[in-house]
Amino acid sequence: MTQAVIESIAITKSYQMGSQNVQALAGVDVRIQAGEFIAVMGPSGSGKSTFMNMLGCLDSPSSGEIRIQGENVTHLAAAQLARIRNRYIGFVFQQFNLLPRTSALDNVMLPLLYRPDHSDAESFAIACLQQVGLAERMDHHPSQLSGGQQQRVAIARALVNQPAVLLADEPTGALDTETGLEIMQLFQQLHSEGKTIVLVTHEPEIAAFASRQLIFRDGRLQSDKAVQAASATEHLQQYRQQKMQEGLA
Amino acid sequence: MKWLLLFKVAWVALQVNLMRSILTMLGIIIGVAAVIIMLALGAGAQYEVDQQIKSLGGNVFIVFARGRATSGARGAAGSVQTLTEMDAEAIEQQIPQVTVAAPTMWASAQVIYGNLNWAPSIQGVDNRIFSAQNWQLNQGREFSAAELSSSGRVAIIGATVQRELFGASDPIGQSIRVDRVPVTVIGVLDAKGQNTQGNDQDDLIFMPLDTVRKRISGRTLASPRAVRSIIVQVADERDMALVEQELESLLRQRLRTTGTDDPFRIRNLSEMVETRARTMQIFNGLLAAVASVSLLVGGIGIMNIMLVSVTERTREIGLRMAVGAEPADIMKQFLIEAMLMCSLGGMLGLSIALLVTKGLEKFAGFTAIIQPEVVLLSIGFSALIGIFFGYYPARKASRLQPIDALRHE
Repeated sequence: MTQAVIESIAITKSYQMGSQNVQALAGVDVRIQAGEFIAVMGPSGSGKSTFMNMLGCLDSPSSGEIRIQGENVTHLAAAQLARIRNRYIGFVFQQFNLLPRTSALDNVMLPLLYRPDHSDAESFAIACLQQVGLAERMDHHPSQLSGGQQQRVAIARALVNQPAVLLADEPTGALDTETGLEIMQLFQQLHSEGKTIVLVTHEPEIAAFASRQLIFRDGRLQSDKAVQAASATEHLQQYRQQKMQEGLA
Repeated sequence: MKWLLLFKVAWVALQVNLMRSILTMLGIIIGVAAVIIMLALGAGAQYEVDQQIKSLGGNVFIVFARGRATSGARGAAGSVQTLTEMDAEAIEQQIPQVTVAAPTMWASAQVIYGNLNWAPSIQGVDNRIFSAQNWQLNQGREFSAAELSSSGRVAIIGATVQRELFGASDPIGQSIRVDRVPVTVIGVLDAKGQNTQGNDQDDLIFMPLDTVRKRISGRTLASPRAVRSIIVQVADERDMALVEQELESLLRQRLRTTGTDDPFRIRNLSEMVETRARTMQIFNGLLAAVASVSLLVGGIGIMNIMLVSVTERTREIGLRMAVGAEPADIMKQFLIEAMLMCSLGGMLGLSIALLVTKGLEKFAGFTAIIQPEVVLLSIGFSALIGIFFGYYPARKASRLQPIDALRHE
């Protein structure tokens, strides 16, 4: 068996909310192989976001282990976790989380600023912006970009450190349907280029573009199955045709 | 993260809330400006006092003759001349730390030149007075040996006397009348200006000791070589206390004094000036202390705004942590921001202080000296305030949990 990029071994997470003890995760085992495109689904409160934060080393489990490329990162100190995130993880958020009043290029370069040994951050960042189709807008500030463009910048930022895995938390949640489809098209393109992607969503239509679906319920993995991925490009074409017909009618 | 980039990030953050940054800096600006101005005025006052002491001779004693008490009834000061030129010579020869002991007489008399008259202080001296009191000749020459030994009718006049009697014309070789005695002017002294008490030091005329004794004062003297005071200059200021003791014992012995009541009095010229200087220093120190309180208040303002800034930018902090910023990176970022704000405030405060002191010097006649170390100190100190008051907010930022920070609304 090949080594997993990220795996979770029996992770649990519980926390106090007032006097109540909440069990957010109750033993989850997942192995993610290189090159997979995984959709993590489930209703709110099912533990999917908590799981995602564990994978991204933003949060640590109450018990169990997280391994990144075979290395146990569960009990590392804050600084070491920051280094792991910097080298192995690329985050894409629902709200983009770009720095305001900072150019697209500088936003994309941000992860490399925390890697003092990295030379040539700028050409890396430009290459990533090219990859998401925004190279000509690298001097624009987030406020000068549309939502879809902002999310593309955020994706370029997630790619710039050449992460082992791209973690996207509801990346289409703040976008309209068409832009959302465009972003999914971009994710599928990145997947075809060999990137490992984990995407959290509560929309089945979005999850349909992944090739493996994890469904969470009550802090447990309810199902884990490989599926035939739908093509975002086709859906986008259909959607545009439909809209054009509606416009004509 | 590289230092240059950290500074760039901090600079951008300050510009984003430009008005707020400036208002926050204002506390530091005012504090630094106030401290520097106070220290500059203090240093200026000290400088002036030092100059005065130097012109007086900080290493100078004056020994005055006092009236001897005979059968309990004291004569007026100087009514009996107890000190003589021989005492001056003894002081010079027997106390090794003494460089010069200049005997002086003095009298007051009307001085007349043409249709002008003036009433300066008339001092009987010999050439030792020049080194004892740091007098320089502006024009002319010192007394010759012959003039000194034969009550020569010559005078060296002070700058004020020259101005009042001669105006712009050349006084050398002119004849003036001092208390009806015609006297030839052979020299003019360099001006010394006012002393600390506001007295004009240049309003005097030097004449040979004997000339004053015999021709001007007209007093019955206890001894033909009596003098009214001896100006004693000590080589090294540190020996002042020792020389004072030696003077005391030497003169008591020479004047055969047995009781506690000395027929002379020793005064240190710089004492009074120094007392004034000390008062001034205390006053300035107090003002600087008050000014530094405003620096402290400014620092608290910085802390306040940095705390607000950390709260406002919690999501930014979360994002930076998510993409790999270590707690130390976040800490550095906010510390540098606080430090930058304070150093900028310090530099602006310094510029204001420079302008204000220049203005005070020009329009109010103050002497203000901004010492380079004060400049370095105040800039460094304000950066330190930035670090001190920026530390708590920066630490708070660095201890945020990335997950909570990202979720912060």
